[in-house]
Amino acid sequence: MSGLGEKVNELLFELGSHKIPGLPLTNYMFFLLIAFVLTLVFFLVASRRLSMVPKGIGNVAEMGLEFIRDNVVVDVMGPEGKGFLPFIGTIFFFILFNNLIGLIPGFKPGTGTMGTTVTWALVVFIVYNAIGIRKHGAWGYLKSFYPPGVVWPLAVFVMILELISHFIRPLTLSVRLFANMFAGHVILGIFSIFTVLLFQAPGVAKVMGLLPIAMQIVMYAFELFVAFIQAYVFAILTAVYIGGALHAGEH
Amino acid sequence: MEVILPAKTMIYEVIVSLVSFLVLFGVLAKFAFPPITKMLDKRSETIRESLEASEATRIEAERLLEEYKTQMIEARHEAAKVIEQGRKISETMKNEIMAKANEDAQALLVKAREGIEAEKKAAIAELQSSVADLSVAVAGKLIGETLSAKDHAKLIERYVAEVGALNEN
Repeated sequence: MSGLGEKVNELLFELGSHKIPGLPLTNYMFFLLIAFVLTLVFFLVASRRLSMVPKGIGNVAEMGLEFIRDNVVVDVMGPEGKGFLPFIGTIFFFILFNNLIGLIPGFKPGTGTMGTTVTWALVVFIVYNAIGIRKHGAWGYLKSFYPPGVVWPLAVFVMILELISHFIRPLTLSVRLFANMFAGHVILGIFSIFTVLLFQAPGVAKVMGLLPIAMQIVMYAFELFVAFIQAYVFAILTAVYIGGALHAGEH
Repeated sequence: MEVILPAKTMIYEVIVSLVSFLVLFGVLAKFAFPPITKMLDKRSETIRESLEASEATRIEAERLLEEYKTQMIEARHEAAKVIEQGRKISETMKNEIMAKANEDAQALLVKAREGIEAEKKAAIAELQSSVADLSVAVAGKLIGETLSAKDHAKLIERYVAEVGALNEN
């Protein structure tokens, strides 16, 4: 098991974000653009292959979008939230495609770097606050943070807490997605290192290398699950934030 | 471990992820999602409509079946009534015919009896007259022409009375 520490350091360096020489891209952005093209092509092709009797790629896209519409948008915001389906749908499918291509060995998920997740979380933050301000006016939206029926010194304290929790939202949103994707790849990488190192062991001890391979398979299934869950969580939290901004002040 | 990027590297990621997200959102929202949601709505509308239509058809079919059933029952009653009526008519006709035949036979019988009676009476009357003549002739022959006209008449009277008594028996 010599060289384990060295190999783990190599892995972490490899999983970090690096600029590609000569291009205005990092390694993660390269894969993000692949996911971008795949998402775009998938939906453009699917939306041209729709039929009354559901089948093929059109049916897959329909099922996905119907799930987001009924189980995320309408469930959280009610029927009046349907107008936000394109926004939340784009978030869900772009994250999902990124997470999924990251599972191909040698690929990385565009969501596995803070640059991406912070950007998107800030987009969500700006969008939902803009929606709140447009619905209630700047002053009305701000007033909605002031809790009614609480004695005033305490109410100001609560309001400050509310505001802080709102400003923490983009941070939690971005770190949750990034950490899940990054950590998943670290785990897969470390089991790969174990496999390689154990197969270098002398004699019958090589058999031990089968254990991390089995773990690898289990973790792959788990990461597939995480890829869906994290896209779903990001999308549903976006819906919750927008819904909250629309109904601000109705405690 | 370089999880937190240097600002210069980070700016590339912010720009690329922001622009790609905005482009994707624009294209999908304009060209891809509307036809898909339209198809979803159209399909659910079609399914709802055809379900309603089949429900209406089912109700109509049930109504028709009910109607035919009552019609069938009515027709059966009607037929039974017609048969019953026919039976009654034939019964009365039979009775009438039989009564008339009986009557006719009775009348015929009476007439025949009357005829026979009249024949008998005529025959008796003829017999009486011929017996009177014959007995005068026979008496005349037996006792010759000795009998006076008074005796003659007496004799005839007695004889006729005898024959009449015979006839009355």
